[in-house]
Amino acid sequence: MSTDSLTAGKPMRRKSSRDAKPGPQSQDNTSRRRKGLSERNRPLWMLIPGGLLMIIIIVVPLLLGIFMSGLDLDQYSLRKWVSAPFIGVQNFVEALTASPLLHAIWLSVSYSLLAMVVTIPLGIAGAVATQNAFKGRAVIRSIFLIPYVLPSFVVATVWRTMFQPGSVIDSLLHSVGIDAGLWLNGPNSYWTLILVQIWASWPFVYLLALSGLQSVDHEVHEASALDGALWWNKLRYVVFPYLKGPLSLAFLIGMLHHINNFTLPFVLFGIPAPSDVELLPILTYVTSFQSFRFGLSAAMAFISLILIAIPLFVYLRAVKLDDAETPGGKK
Amino acid sequence: MKFASSAKFAAVVVTAALALTACGGGSTSSGGSGGTVGPVDGKGKKLSVLTGVNNQYSAQQKQWFTDIAAKFKAQTGADVEFETFASANDELTRIQTSVVSGQGPDIYSLGTTFTPTAFATKAFVTLSDDDWKKVGGKDKFNQAALGISGPDAQHQAGIPFVSRPFVMAYNKDILKAAGIDKPATSWDELATQAKKMTDPSTGTFGLATGYKDNFDPWKFIWAMSVQAGNPLVDGKTLKLDDPAVKKAYETYFGWLTKDKVVDPASIGWSNSNAVAAFASGKAGYLMMTTSSSLPTLDKSAVAGKYAYTAMPTTAPGQSSPKGDGANAASILSGDNVVVADYSKQKDLAFAYINLITSKDEQLNYQKIFGDLPANAEALKSLDNPALKPVADTAAKSKATPFTGAWGDIQLALTNVVVQSIPDLSKGSVDDSSLQARIKDAQSKGQASLDRASK
Repeated sequence: MSTDSLTAGKPMRRKSSRDAKPGPQSQDNTSRRRKGLSERNRPLWMLIPGGLLMIIIIVVPLLLGIFMSGLDLDQYSLRKWVSAPFIGVQNFVEALTASPLLHAIWLSVSYSLLAMVVTIPLGIAGAVATQNAFKGRAVIRSIFLIPYVLPSFVVATVWRTMFQPGSVIDSLLHSVGIDAGLWLNGPNSYWTLILVQIWASWPFVYLLALSGLQSVDHEVHEASALDGALWWNKLRYVVFPYLKGPLSLAFLIGMLHHINNFTLPFVLFGIPAPSDVELLPILTYVTSFQSFRFGLSAAMAFISLILIAIPLFVYLRAVKLDDAETPGGKK
Repeated sequence: MKFASSAKFAAVVVTAALALTACGGGSTSSGGSGGTVGPVDGKGKKLSVLTGVNNQYSAQQKQWFTDIAAKFKAQTGADVEFETFASANDELTRIQTSVVSGQGPDIYSLGTTFTPTAFATKAFVTLSDDDWKKVGGKDKFNQAALGISGPDAQHQAGIPFVSRPFVMAYNKDILKAAGIDKPATSWDELATQAKKMTDPSTGTFGLATGYKDNFDPWKFIWAMSVQAGNPLVDGKTLKLDDPAVKKAYETYFGWLTKDKVVDPASIGWSNSNAVAAFASGKAGYLMMTTSSSLPTLDKSAVAGKYAYTAMPTTAPGQSSPKGDGANAASILSGDNVVVADYSKQKDLAFAYINLITSKDEQLNYQKIFGDLPANAEALKSLDNPALKPVADTAAKSKATPFTGAWGDIQLALTNVVVQSIPDLSKGSVDDSSLQARIKDAQSKGQASLDRASK
């Protein structure tokens, strides 16, 4: 909490001393009135088009998905799918007991978390390194963005080629005396996936960290310099608090994106996937589009949704990203 | 208020997550290609055809689309609109969307092994005698090619378009240098010959094959099992737990682990890598290839030095083919075309199929793409001697079991190989883990078969 007073407190104090004349009470009154007024007369009807779209694009498919999870829907009943036999919770029971679903969820969540844990410091470091102007900064910044700009498919294809047995990476490691074995199958494949994911997604964290850094007022830098803060203290107590909001957002979006990432593992490892990288999207895909068990895969998607939603909700409350009063989290 | 807004936000995040998870990345664009809504006016109709993209000869394929559309227009006055899919998965998604929505292309081109699954959806026309007449009569087709058009002769939906039997190619020079006068006809002999040709010092290996290929592995296992008298599916029972299947896997893995006649890097290869290895003159045999490799090989270092021949038909450890083995030189492979049940212009669709399966068009197609004609007359009139063994194999091809569960069985068979690759790279697949993987495949496949026969 001391960080808050250091960053947010200083400009406030200065401001309030300047605008001392109207008195704190009257200022409070006007702001409350304005707020009350705007809450009552908000033109909520303007949300209708967006709301309708959200119903069509999100709510309806969600409900359909839940409905499907109760059906015995496969290629034999697909054509008249609404009349497919209703089997209650059998799909859920099968998903939990007789399929690799839990293993897949574990793999997906753990890999996403590991990739995020590495990309966040990388992103911050990249952003801090390119914060101050220097010759060629624009070029470096553009280079940093390359992995983010490349389509996932291209990234995965290039890495797959490099990780082939006897290809670039193998011969490189071989030249320094390491024989690491297979990269695209077996236990290493999990780490291959994390590595490629880090490579592909760190610029996203970098971008958000950069935007956070841009919002640090110049005065704050000056003030902390006047207070005699050196680089680490400045970074730790002045700059990082500004990054909390953007980085919480990056963490959230990054996790969701990784958990749902289909292209990368699909192109890297193919189908059927090695059991070490049988991730959630791959499993759902194979179940619906190779085995045609649409009902079962809908149940899998629903279970994983719930399992992921719980920690997500806790996280949202913890970082207050969802708090409308402080947009973008706290500075 | 505060809680309500946060709950709303959470709900949005959560639903978005579900939407994404449910999609699983598969693009499910609805196929509203309007193939069925053409004006009723006879001349203004437009036929919509979905076919696989030919990466190998993409420019030629575009040209072929234009040419055949012009010919069709001259014949019927109708336009043809072609759509392509990039992969089998892409195709599946398209078919599923169309099946559910009841609209989409009028004609689909399907791989033979996918035909049973498509048939199971009942979304395609089962041809009546009348319908067969509209495409030029059943007799005009190579009768063997009809083997996977439907569950029996009375219920057929797939109209054969091209045959693509699997054969092996051999490098005549390498065989001769090793003192081999004639390609192997049994799998045991093949391994013996391959050993003679393998010379790691020059980087030459007896066999070229890709263990990482998405389709090749199950074809080997199927072939060796059928030749040992086990057709894998016996009515409602799956027989992957039969010793013949295990023996097949052992033989297939043995090339790498025991015989050491394949490049160790081939655990990461797909079929195209194997073709490249053979094309560079570094392999005696190229396994599991088709005549569509001909245009590539003719431009490579082995041009004029190679020939096609049927793959062995005597199962490992046997002295002669058992059961139907002699006729299982290859799976019955190629493309069928099917007409969508929802199509409102079926007669036009049949007219188009009649055109593309005519003798001249089939021969023309063979010249451009290498695939063999499904038209019997056209097949007989092929004069390229290199294609003779391939054409012979077309007659010795055996259909994979006609069940909607085949896709799953195929996947389970391939999965055994995928999960064994780490062991393969270490140099040996131990017996108990192989047994466990086969058992897993058996139970998954049997479950799928149970659903099919329900």
